[in-house]
Amino acid sequence: MSGHSSWPEWVYIGVVVALLCYVGAEAWNVERIVEHVPADAEIIKVTGQQWLWTFEHEDGTKEIGELHLEQGKAYKFEITSKDVIHSFNIHDYVVLLDAVPGRVNTVWFSPGDAGEFPIQCREYCGLIHYNMRATLYVENGA
Amino acid sequence: MKAIIGIGLVLSLLIILPSVQYVLAAGDEPGEYLDRRLEIWGLFYRLMIVAFTVGTVVSGMIVWLVLRFRESNPKATPTEYEADGKW
Amino acid sequence: MVLELHKPRPIWQIMFSTHHTDVGLLYLITSLAFMFMGGALALILRLELFAPGTQVIADSMTYNRIFTVHGTTLIFLFILPSASAFGNYLVPIMVRFKDMAYPKLNAVAFWMIPPAGALIWLGFADFTWYAYPTYSTISAPGPAADMWIFGLKILGVSSILGSINFIVTIMKCKHPDLPLSKMPLLAWAYLTSSLITVVAVPTFAAALLMLLTDRLGASGFFNPVMGGDPIAYQHLFWFTFHPEVYILVIPAIGFMYEIFPRFSRKPIFSHGSGVTAFVLLALVGFASWAHHMYATGMSFTEKTVFMVGTLAAVPASAMHTFNFLATMWGGRIKFATPIMWAVGGIALFFSAGAGGVVNSAMPLDFITHDSYWVVGHFHLFVMGTILFGTVAFVYYMFPYVTGRMYNEMWGKIHFILAFVGTVMVFFTQHILGLFGMPRRIYDYPPIPEWVQMNIIITVGAMIIGISMAIFLGNLIYSSAKGKPANMDDPFGLGGKYYFPYQAKTPHTEGGGYH
Repeated sequence: MSGHSSWPEWVYIGVVVALLCYVGAEAWNVERIVEHVPADAEIIKVTGQQWLWTFEHEDGTKEIGELHLEQGKAYKFEITSKDVIHSFNIHDYVVLLDAVPGRVNTVWFSPGDAGEFPIQCREYCGLIHYNMRATLYVENGA
Repeated sequence: MKAIIGIGLVLSLLIILPSVQYVLAAGDEPGEYLDRRLEIWGLFYRLMIVAFTVGTVVSGMIVWLVLRFRESNPKATPTEYEADGKW
Repeated sequence: MVLELHKPRPIWQIMFSTHHTDVGLLYLITSLAFMFMGGALALILRLELFAPGTQVIADSMTYNRIFTVHGTTLIFLFILPSASAFGNYLVPIMVRFKDMAYPKLNAVAFWMIPPAGALIWLGFADFTWYAYPTYSTISAPGPAADMWIFGLKILGVSSILGSINFIVTIMKCKHPDLPLSKMPLLAWAYLTSSLITVVAVPTFAAALLMLLTDRLGASGFFNPVMGGDPIAYQHLFWFTFHPEVYILVIPAIGFMYEIFPRFSRKPIFSHGSGVTAFVLLALVGFASWAHHMYATGMSFTEKTVFMVGTLAAVPASAMHTFNFLATMWGGRIKFATPIMWAVGGIALFFSAGAGGVVNSAMPLDFITHDSYWVVGHFHLFVMGTILFGTVAFVYYMFPYVTGRMYNEMWGKIHFILAFVGTVMVFFTQHILGLFGMPRRIYDYPPIPEWVQMNIIITVGAMIIGISMAIFLGNLIYSSAKGKPANMDDPFGLGGKYYFPYQAKTPHTEGGGYH
């Protein structure tokens, strides 16, 4: 073993650890904020299956391949799968969560802008994984 | 070393506390919902600033070391170990 | 033992040999062959992704099979065997013993690799190298899937046997005058990576068996209809494969611990720091596996625990970087091919690590999970660090194995092209992932930014391909017709080639086995 550790190395490790503490603290905080689901979020059931997405609104309305939501409202997705693992992703709204058969995963968001946004699958699920897409339509609230 | 970790922790707190205040005041009504995009991308950009700063320092260090200590540098001198051929 | 192309030994003598240098040569040739094969698959994928629509691959299933075999080949049939190759050559020498502890077991562990490789390549499974259920259990076509499972089972056993051999050789067979603390850092790299292997890999062996029985319908471990949980597989898989990435990178770092001091003409800055960093990484590496599973619906607390575990491994890697840079400081560095590759490798190691720290931040997973950001990140590790470190060591060991020198000019051209190509491909992939392109997709919509970046990436990949063709040519030509090397000091550094454990080969004076 070469003698005593040198002070430059200890300073360097101290700086690295401090930076990592910063990263961890920031990440923890943002995750906490983002996971706080508003009480009045409307529940949308999302079901992934090979190779399409279907949606069911609280009032029973069903949609296949498209989802129509209102700008400014809060929505909570309850996501599951009928067969293999898929992953529900609205990239423009940073929504991403796996659709796992046998369980329901939840994530919430509030669409701030109106428009059309792609929905894609983010977990390999076979032949048409690459084209397992849908479209989110966000309409201006009345 | 402890001083540095201490400073790091204090700095982290100083940055978090204002955000925590924000969250405690965050609304649960329409129009006041938190925007995921802002929060998450904001975090991303903050971490990118850290990563690129450290990256510049480390890459700059590597480039400088390679240029300064290459054997063709006019200032190059044999290391103290070359005499015995033991390294 | 060595490649003697002018007066070759009978091939059966090498194939049935149990001497560590012969087994090392077998591992080396096999791993390099698979490196070229797996790399070629990547070039086909990149040609297809050059633009939206079909280019060279007719259907998505073929594409899916190609990327599965690409990943499986390069991890299990290139990186791991190439580490074993150099370990076989050098570990007995470094501990001053005559061979590995169990020479026959050593040969057996090698000979498991060709049949396993054959199973994987003849099957060409499509379910990605992760093989997640429930796709792999209810949807992936056999017999490809089952052949893959058997192939990996065999490779796992081979890995464990090889690791046991390294551990016993180092701990029990080392020379009595050599304390562990004075053992070269490359030997420490083999010790720690072997210890991680024997702890981590059996978990995957169990997972593979469960996958197989699930596929046969005999069990429902991962089948929710039968009361199982697909996420359980992911825990088992990543419990093995997160430490596995350290198994992959630690030998490459070990190679750099040989190259940096020699070419800088001074000893490593801190041997103790290197040992501490290896041991720390091995231990802490077990604490972070579920950061691969942030998107599966884990609770906030679970995610936090694994984020902390992930971040805790960073200082150990930072220590290695510091050690290398501090070793160069004050040196007189001869920039021959091996150290160019090592320096490039360390620069890319840092960028890979920086991206990794960003990945570990839980909320950022919503942006980057299963996108090209991840592809860019891990390739900076496996290509930028591990392949660069391995290639550096191939060039460094070339005289030892063949008695000849490779062509230095082409070695440097190989480096420059590979470095430029690697940056073009994998840095761009980070940005592509931020724009939302998922991984493992055969085709993509004509989003302008995606198209532009995919073009850049494909061009970069072709540059890497050209550089690897140059490498192959250099290896083959120089093995046969290269200038005979000065075996005492092939690189003209002034020190001994393998101080303080001078290694003799048939090419050195006095010849014969040592």
